[in-house]
Amino acid sequence: MNGVNLDLFQFEYDLTWMSFFMDADHRIYTRYGGRDDSDPESHLNRESLLDAMRLSLALHKMDDAPRRRANPKREPGRTPEQIPTMTTMMAKRKNKCIHCHDVKVATLKHLRNQGRLERDMVFTYPTPANLGLVVDARRQTRIKSVGKDSPATEAGIQPGDLIDQVAGRQVRTFGDVSSILNSLPASGRLNLTVRRDGRETPVTLDLPAGWKRTTDPSWRESLHVVGPNCGLWGRKLNGKERQRLKLSSDKLALKVTFIWGPHTRKAGIRVGDVIVSLDGQTRNMNIKQLHAHPMLHRDWGDTIPVTIRRGNRTLDVRMTFPRTPPN
Amino acid sequence: MSRTALIAATMLTATTGALIGADAPIPKPAPQKIDGLVRWVYDYEQGRQLARKTGRPMFVVFRCER
Repeated sequence: MNGVNLDLFQFEYDLTWMSFFMDADHRIYTRYGGRDDSDPESHLNRESLLDAMRLSLALHKMDDAPRRRANPKREPGRTPEQIPTMTTMMAKRKNKCIHCHDVKVATLKHLRNQGRLERDMVFTYPTPANLGLVVDARRQTRIKSVGKDSPATEAGIQPGDLIDQVAGRQVRTFGDVSSILNSLPASGRLNLTVRRDGRETPVTLDLPAGWKRTTDPSWRESLHVVGPNCGLWGRKLNGKERQRLKLSSDKLALKVTFIWGPHTRKAGIRVGDVIVSLDGQTRNMNIKQLHAHPMLHRDWGDTIPVTIRRGNRTLDVRMTFPRTPPN
Repeated sequence: MSRTALIAATMLTATTGALIGADAPIPKPAPQKIDGLVRWVYDYEQGRQLARKTGRPMFVVFRCER
Protein backbone atom coordinates (compact mmCIF):
# COMPACT_ATOMS: atom_id res chain seq x y z
CA MET A 1 0.00 0.00 0.00
CA ASN A 2 3.04 2.28 -0.06
CA GLY A 3 2.07 5.55 -1.71
CA VAL A 4 -1.44 4.37 -2.59
CA ASN A 5 -4.07 7.10 -2.82
CA LEU A 6 -6.39 6.33 0.09
CA ASP A 7 -8.99 8.84 -1.06
CA LEU A 8 -9.36 6.87 -4.26
CA PHE A 9 -8.90 3.32 -3.02
CA GLN A 10 -11.23 2.99 -0.07
CA PHE A 11 -12.05 -0.58 0.84
CA GLU A 12 -12.01 -3.08 3.71
CA TYR A 13 -8.33 -3.00 4.56
CA ASP A 14 -8.69 -6.16 6.67
CA LEU A 15 -9.22 -8.10 3.43
CA THR A 16 -6.46 -10.09 1.76
CA TRP A 17 -7.85 -9.41 -1.74
CA MET A 18 -9.86 -6.60 -3.30
CA SER A 19 -10.24 -5.24 -6.80
CA PHE A 20 -11.62 -2.32 -8.77
CA PHE A 21 -12.67 -1.93 -12.39
CA MET A 22 -11.78 1.58 -13.47
CA ASP A 23 -10.97 3.86 -16.32
CA ALA A 24 -7.83 5.93 -16.81
CA ASP A 25 -9.48 8.95 -15.14
CA HIS A 26 -9.80 7.23 -11.73
CA ARG A 27 -13.48 6.50 -12.31
CA ILE A 28 -14.72 3.29 -10.75
CA TYR A 29 -17.13 1.11 -12.69
CA THR A 30 -17.51 -1.50 -10.01
CA ARG A 31 -15.79 -3.01 -6.97
CA TYR A 32 -15.15 -6.72 -6.81
CA GLY A 33 -14.24 -8.42 -3.53
CA GLY A 34 -15.32 -8.78 0.05
CA ARG A 35 -16.01 -11.68 2.36
CA ASP A 36 -18.20 -12.94 5.16
CA ASP A 37 -16.93 -14.13 8.54
CA SER A 38 -16.69 -17.77 7.52
CA ASP A 39 -14.48 -17.72 4.43
CA PRO A 40 -12.00 -15.24 2.91
CA GLU A 41 -13.15 -16.35 -0.54
CA SER A 42 -16.88 -16.53 0.20
CA HIS A 43 -17.72 -14.06 -2.57
CA LEU A 44 -14.82 -14.61 -4.94
CA ASN A 45 -15.59 -16.95 -7.81
CA ARG A 46 -15.16 -17.24 -11.54
CA GLU A 47 -18.77 -16.53 -12.50
CA SER A 48 -19.19 -13.30 -10.59
CA LEU A 49 -15.75 -12.07 -11.62
CA LEU A 50 -16.58 -12.66 -15.27
CA ASP A 51 -19.89 -10.86 -14.78
CA ALA A 52 -18.07 -7.88 -13.28
CA MET A 53 -15.60 -7.90 -16.17
CA ARG A 54 -18.32 -8.04 -18.82
CA LEU A 55 -20.28 -5.30 -17.13
CA SER A 56 -17.24 -3.06 -16.78
CA LEU A 57 -16.35 -3.56 -20.43
CA ALA A 58 -19.90 -2.66 -21.43
CA LEU A 59 -19.86 0.46 -19.27
CA HIS A 60 -16.48 1.42 -20.65
CA LYS A 61 -17.83 1.34 -24.17
CA MET A 62 -20.71 3.65 -23.28
CA ASP A 63 -19.96 7.35 -23.68
CA ASP A 64 -22.59 8.26 -21.12
CA ALA A 65 -21.71 5.48 -18.71
CA PRO A 66 -23.32 6.02 -15.31
CA ARG A 67 -19.99 6.29 -13.60
CA ARG A 68 -18.65 8.75 -11.13
CA ARG A 69 -16.85 11.82 -12.33
CA ALA A 70 -13.19 12.03 -11.45
CA ASN A 71 -12.76 13.91 -8.21
CA PRO A 72 -9.89 16.40 -8.47
CA LYS A 73 -9.31 16.02 -4.73
CA ARG A 74 -8.31 12.44 -5.39
CA GLU A 75 -5.04 13.65 -6.82
CA PRO A 76 -2.63 13.40 -5.13
CA GLY A 77 -4.80 12.25 -2.19
CA ARG A 78 -3.90 10.93 1.24
CA THR A 79 -1.38 8.11 1.47
CA PRO A 80 -0.80 5.49 4.18
CA GLU A 81 2.50 7.14 5.07
CA GLN A 82 0.59 10.24 6.22
CA ILE A 83 -1.27 8.38 8.98
CA PRO A 84 0.56 9.65 12.10
CA THR A 85 1.04 6.24 13.73
CA MET A 86 2.33 4.58 10.55
CA THR A 87 5.89 5.88 10.97
CA THR A 88 6.27 4.19 14.38
CA MET A 89 4.73 0.97 13.08
CA MET A 90 6.99 0.79 10.05
CA ALA A 91 10.13 1.73 11.98
CA LYS A 92 10.01 -1.66 13.71
CA ARG A 93 9.94 -3.55 10.42
CA LYS A 94 12.77 -4.75 8.24
CA ASN A 95 10.42 -5.06 5.31
CA LYS A 96 8.96 -1.63 4.63
CA CYS A 97 5.96 -2.86 2.67
CA ILE A 98 2.75 -1.40 4.07
CA HIS A 99 0.09 -4.12 4.08
CA CYS A 100 -3.58 -3.39 3.50
CA HIS A 101 -4.42 -4.13 7.13
CA ASP A 102 -1.66 -1.78 8.28
CA VAL A 103 -3.74 1.10 6.96
CA LYS A 104 -6.66 0.21 9.19
CA VAL A 105 -4.47 -0.68 12.18
CA ALA A 106 -2.61 2.63 11.95
CA THR A 107 -5.86 4.56 11.56
CA LEU A 108 -7.44 2.88 14.60
CA LYS A 109 -4.27 3.42 16.65
CA HIS A 110 -4.31 7.09 15.73
CA LEU A 111 -7.92 7.36 16.87
CA ARG A 112 -7.02 5.52 20.07
CA ASN A 113 -4.18 7.96 20.75
CA GLN A 114 -6.66 10.78 20.33
CA GLY A 115 -9.16 9.12 22.68
CA ARG A 116 -11.68 8.76 19.87
CA LEU A 117 -11.52 5.00 19.31
CA GLU A 118 -14.75 3.03 19.66
CA ARG A 119 -14.82 -0.76 19.48
CA ASP A 120 -17.42 -0.82 16.75
CA MET A 121 -15.02 0.99 14.44
CA VAL A 122 -13.44 -2.38 13.70
CA PHE A 123 -16.67 -3.46 11.98
CA THR A 124 -16.14 -1.69 8.69
CA TYR A 125 -17.63 -2.62 5.30
CA PRO A 126 -20.61 -4.63 6.58
CA THR A 127 -22.02 -7.22 4.23
CA PRO A 128 -25.63 -7.16 3.01
CA ALA A 129 -26.19 -10.26 5.18
CA ASN A 130 -25.92 -7.96 8.21
CA LEU A 131 -29.36 -6.72 7.20
CA GLY A 132 -30.66 -10.17 6.29
CA LEU A 133 -29.91 -9.75 2.58
CA VAL A 134 -28.12 -12.99 1.76
CA VAL A 135 -26.96 -12.61 -1.83
CA ASP A 136 -25.95 -15.30 -4.29
CA ALA A 137 -22.15 -15.48 -4.35
CA ARG A 138 -22.20 -15.87 -8.13
CA ARG A 139 -24.92 -13.44 -9.13
CA GLN A 140 -24.17 -10.96 -6.44
CA THR A 141 -27.18 -8.68 -6.61
CA ARG A 142 -29.62 -11.61 -6.48
CA ILE A 143 -31.20 -12.35 -3.09
CA LYS A 144 -30.58 -15.99 -2.33
CA SER A 145 -32.34 -16.01 1.03
CA VAL A 146 -33.59 -13.60 3.64
CA GLY A 147 -32.44 -13.71 7.25
CA LYS A 148 -35.07 -14.70 9.81
CA ASP A 149 -36.40 -11.75 11.85
CA SER A 150 -34.07 -9.43 9.92
CA PRO A 151 -34.66 -5.91 8.56
CA ALA A 152 -34.89 -7.51 5.09
CA THR A 153 -37.73 -9.79 6.19
CA GLU A 154 -39.58 -6.91 7.82
CA ALA A 155 -39.22 -4.89 4.63
CA GLY A 156 -40.76 -7.70 2.57
CA ILE A 157 -37.71 -8.60 0.53
CA GLN A 158 -37.99 -11.99 -1.12
CA PRO A 159 -35.58 -14.59 -2.47
CA GLY A 160 -35.06 -13.94 -6.17
CA ASP A 161 -35.29 -10.16 -5.85
CA LEU A 162 -32.47 -8.31 -7.57
CA ILE A 163 -30.90 -5.40 -5.73
CA ASP A 164 -30.72 -2.54 -8.20
CA GLN A 165 -29.93 0.50 -6.07
CA VAL A 166 -28.76 1.02 -2.51
CA ALA A 167 -29.27 4.49 -1.01
CA GLY A 168 -29.91 5.78 -4.52
CA ARG A 169 -26.73 4.36 -6.02
CA GLN A 170 -26.54 1.67 -8.65
CA VAL A 171 -24.91 -1.55 -7.45
CA ARG A 172 -23.50 -4.41 -9.46
CA THR A 173 -21.54 -6.53 -7.01
CA PHE A 174 -21.28 -7.60 -3.39
CA GLY A 175 -18.36 -5.15 -3.11
CA ASP A 176 -20.51 -2.26 -4.37
CA VAL A 177 -23.21 -2.98 -1.79
CA SER A 178 -20.69 -3.34 1.03
CA SER A 179 -19.02 -0.07 0.09
CA ILE A 180 -22.30 1.84 0.33
CA LEU A 181 -23.29 0.12 3.57
CA ASN A 182 -19.98 1.22 5.05
CA SER A 183 -20.96 4.84 4.57
CA LEU A 184 -24.29 4.48 6.40
CA PRO A 185 -24.88 5.57 10.01
CA ALA A 186 -25.03 3.26 13.04
CA SER A 187 -28.82 3.42 12.99
CA GLY A 188 -31.53 4.86 10.77
CA ARG A 189 -33.21 3.77 7.56
CA LEU A 190 -32.00 2.58 4.19
CA ASN A 191 -33.77 2.88 0.85
CA LEU A 192 -33.29 0.11 -1.67
CA THR A 193 -34.65 -0.44 -5.12
CA VAL A 194 -35.14 -4.08 -5.98
CA ARG A 195 -36.24 -5.63 -9.24
CA ARG A 196 -39.00 -8.23 -8.85
CA ASP A 197 -40.67 -9.87 -11.82
CA GLY A 198 -39.06 -7.26 -14.04
CA ARG A 199 -40.48 -4.32 -12.09
CA GLU A 200 -38.63 -1.86 -9.90
CA THR A 201 -39.85 -1.90 -6.30
CA PRO A 202 -38.75 0.64 -3.68
CA VAL A 203 -38.11 -0.85 -0.25
CA THR A 204 -37.10 0.73 3.06
CA LEU A 205 -35.09 -1.16 5.67
CA ASP A 206 -34.56 -0.23 9.30
CA LEU A 207 -30.95 -0.12 10.44
CA PRO A 208 -31.11 -1.43 14.00
CA ALA A 209 -28.52 -0.51 16.62
CA GLY A 210 -25.37 -2.58 16.19
CA TRP A 211 -26.28 -3.67 12.66
CA LYS A 212 -22.66 -3.40 11.47
CA ARG A 213 -21.46 -6.00 13.98
CA THR A 214 -20.94 -9.64 13.05
CA THR A 215 -20.66 -12.72 15.24
CA ASP A 216 -17.14 -13.83 14.35
CA PRO A 217 -14.80 -10.98 13.40
CA SER A 218 -11.73 -12.98 14.49
CA TRP A 219 -10.36 -12.88 10.93
CA ARG A 220 -9.93 -9.11 11.16
CA GLU A 221 -6.28 -8.25 11.62
CA SER A 222 -7.20 -4.84 13.04
CA LEU A 223 -9.12 -6.38 15.92
CA HIS A 224 -6.09 -6.32 18.21
CA VAL A 225 -6.19 -2.52 18.34
CA VAL A 226 -9.57 -2.30 20.07
CA GLY A 227 -8.88 -4.54 23.08
CA PRO A 228 -6.38 -6.68 24.98
CA ASN A 229 -5.18 -10.10 23.88
CA CYS A 230 -4.29 -13.23 25.81
CA GLY A 231 -0.56 -13.07 25.02
CA LEU A 232 -0.33 -16.61 23.77
CA TRP A 233 -0.65 -18.79 20.70
CA GLY A 234 -2.14 -22.25 20.57
CA ARG A 235 -3.82 -24.98 18.60
CA LYS A 236 -6.97 -27.01 18.96
CA LEU A 237 -6.54 -30.45 20.47
CA ASN A 238 -7.11 -33.33 18.10
CA GLY A 239 -9.62 -36.10 18.76
CA LYS A 240 -7.22 -38.43 20.56
CA GLU A 241 -5.91 -35.66 22.78
CA ARG A 242 -9.45 -34.70 23.68
CA GLN A 243 -10.32 -38.32 24.50
CA ARG A 244 -7.32 -38.60 26.77
CA LEU A 245 -8.39 -35.51 28.70
CA LYS A 246 -12.11 -36.42 28.49
CA LEU A 247 -12.98 -33.16 26.73
CA SER A 248 -15.96 -33.24 24.36
CA SER A 249 -15.60 -31.99 20.79
CA ASP A 250 -17.90 -28.99 21.28
CA LYS A 251 -15.87 -27.59 24.15
CA LEU A 252 -12.88 -25.27 24.24
CA ALA A 253 -9.57 -27.14 24.23
CA LEU A 254 -6.59 -25.09 23.06
CA LYS A 255 -3.06 -26.25 23.72
CA VAL A 256 -0.68 -23.36 24.40
CA THR A 257 2.23 -23.50 21.96
CA PHE A 258 3.83 -20.09 22.48
CA ILE A 259 3.62 -17.31 25.04
CA TRP A 260 4.63 -13.72 24.36
CA GLY A 261 2.64 -11.80 26.97
CA PRO A 262 4.25 -11.01 30.34
CA HIS A 263 0.69 -10.90 31.74
CA THR A 264 0.16 -14.47 30.51
CA ARG A 265 3.28 -15.75 32.26
CA LYS A 266 2.37 -13.77 35.36
CA ALA A 267 -0.99 -15.58 35.39
CA GLY A 268 0.97 -18.83 35.63
CA ILE A 269 0.08 -20.16 32.20
CA ARG A 270 2.76 -22.33 30.57
CA VAL A 271 3.46 -23.76 27.13
CA GLY A 272 1.74 -27.16 26.97
CA ASP A 273 -1.21 -26.14 29.15
CA VAL A 274 -4.67 -26.71 27.67
CA ILE A 275 -7.10 -23.80 28.01
CA VAL A 276 -10.62 -25.10 28.66
CA SER A 277 -12.29 -21.89 29.81
CA LEU A 278 -11.46 -18.22 29.35
CA ASP A 279 -13.58 -15.53 30.95
CA GLY A 280 -16.50 -17.97 31.07
CA GLN A 281 -16.16 -18.94 27.41
CA THR A 282 -16.14 -22.73 27.02
CA ARG A 283 -17.33 -23.31 23.45
CA ASN A 284 -14.98 -24.87 20.93
CA MET A 285 -13.00 -22.19 19.11
CA ASN A 286 -9.70 -21.56 17.43
CA ILE A 287 -6.95 -19.32 18.77
CA LYS A 288 -8.08 -16.25 16.81
CA GLN A 289 -11.61 -16.64 18.12
CA LEU A 290 -10.21 -16.97 21.63
CA HIS A 291 -8.31 -13.69 21.27
CA ALA A 292 -11.36 -11.97 19.80
CA HIS A 293 -13.32 -12.42 23.03
CA PRO A 294 -11.25 -10.12 25.29
CA MET A 295 -10.53 -7.78 22.38
CA LEU A 296 -14.25 -7.18 21.96
CA HIS A 297 -15.50 -7.54 25.53
CA ARG A 298 -12.72 -6.59 27.96
CA ASP A 299 -10.68 -3.49 28.65
CA TRP A 300 -6.99 -2.93 29.27
CA GLY A 301 -6.32 -3.55 32.98
CA ASP A 302 -9.25 -5.98 33.40
CA THR A 303 -8.76 -9.31 35.16
CA ILE A 304 -10.37 -12.45 33.80
CA PRO A 305 -10.59 -16.07 35.05
CA VAL A 306 -8.89 -18.79 33.00
CA THR A 307 -9.17 -22.54 33.56
CA ILE A 308 -6.40 -24.76 32.29
CA ARG A 309 -5.63 -28.46 32.23
CA ARG A 310 -2.04 -29.34 33.05
CA GLY A 311 -1.58 -33.07 32.89
CA ASN A 312 -4.36 -34.52 35.00
CA ARG A 313 -4.80 -31.39 37.03
CA THR A 314 -7.34 -28.60 36.51
CA LEU A 315 -6.09 -25.17 37.53
CA ASP A 316 -8.01 -21.91 37.88
CA VAL A 317 -5.86 -18.84 37.32
CA ARG A 318 -6.50 -15.14 36.85
CA MET A 319 -5.05 -13.08 34.03
CA THR A 320 -4.72 -9.31 34.35
CA PHE A 321 -4.27 -7.48 31.06
CA PRO A 322 -1.72 -4.65 30.80
CA ARG A 323 -3.14 -1.28 31.83
CA THR A 324 -2.29 0.35 28.53
CA PRO A 325 -2.04 -1.00 25.00
CA PRO A 326 1.39 -1.36 23.39
CA ASN A 327 2.43 1.33 20.95
CA MET B 1 0.36 -12.47 5.48
CA SER B 2 3.19 -11.36 3.31
CA ARG B 3 3.66 -8.23 1.32
CA THR B 4 0.85 -6.44 -0.35
CA ALA B 5 0.95 -5.65 -4.01
CA LEU B 6 -1.03 -3.32 -6.17
CA ILE B 7 -1.56 -4.69 -9.59
CA ALA B 8 -3.19 -3.14 -12.58
CA ALA B 9 -3.89 -4.88 -15.82
CA THR B 10 -5.69 -3.84 -18.92
CA MET B 11 -8.63 -6.11 -19.47
CA LEU B 12 -9.12 -8.40 -22.35
CA THR B 13 -11.88 -7.23 -24.59
CA ALA B 14 -13.70 -10.51 -24.30
CA THR B 15 -14.09 -12.98 -21.47
CA THR B 16 -15.28 -16.53 -21.60
CA GLY B 17 -16.45 -19.08 -19.10
CA ALA B 18 -19.28 -21.48 -18.62
CA LEU B 19 -21.92 -20.45 -16.14
CA ILE B 20 -22.88 -22.97 -13.52
CA GLY B 21 -26.38 -23.52 -12.13
CA ALA B 22 -27.21 -21.05 -9.38
CA ASP B 23 -27.58 -23.63 -6.63
CA ALA B 24 -24.64 -25.87 -7.47
CA PRO B 25 -21.73 -25.73 -4.99
CA ILE B 26 -19.10 -23.24 -6.01
CA PRO B 27 -15.94 -25.01 -7.15
CA LYS B 28 -12.86 -23.55 -5.51
CA PRO B 29 -9.84 -23.88 -7.79
CA ALA B 30 -6.46 -24.57 -6.27
CA PRO B 31 -4.06 -21.61 -6.17
CA GLN B 32 -2.51 -21.15 -9.59
CA LYS B 33 0.45 -19.24 -10.85
CA ILE B 34 -0.77 -16.40 -12.99
CA ASP B 35 2.61 -15.07 -13.98
CA GLY B 36 3.03 -15.33 -17.70
CA LEU B 37 -0.70 -15.57 -18.37
CA VAL B 38 -1.52 -11.98 -17.47
CA ARG B 39 0.82 -9.07 -17.99
CA TRP B 40 0.43 -7.37 -14.62
CA VAL B 41 1.59 -3.82 -14.13
CA TYR B 42 2.83 -3.20 -10.59
CA ASP B 43 2.41 0.54 -10.72
CA TYR B 44 -0.94 2.30 -10.80
CA GLU B 45 0.26 5.30 -12.79
CA GLN B 46 1.85 3.05 -15.41
CA GLY B 47 -1.41 1.12 -15.54
CA ARG B 48 -3.33 4.33 -16.10
CA GLN B 49 -1.03 5.36 -18.91
CA LEU B 50 -1.43 1.96 -20.55
CA ALA B 51 -5.22 2.15 -20.15
CA ARG B 52 -5.27 5.59 -21.73
CA LYS B 53 -3.01 4.50 -24.57
CA THR B 54 -4.98 1.37 -25.36
CA GLY B 55 -8.44 2.77 -24.58
CA ARG B 56 -9.13 -0.15 -22.28
CA PRO B 57 -10.41 -0.21 -18.69
CA MET B 58 -8.23 -1.26 -15.78
CA PHE B 59 -8.56 -4.18 -13.39
CA VAL B 60 -6.82 -2.96 -10.24
CA VAL B 61 -6.08 -5.62 -7.66
CA PHE B 62 -4.85 -5.35 -4.07
CA ARG B 63 -3.70 -8.66 -2.69
CA CYS B 64 -1.59 -10.28 -0.03
CA GLU B 65 0.90 -12.60 -1.68
CA ARG B 66 0.72 -16.20 -0.55
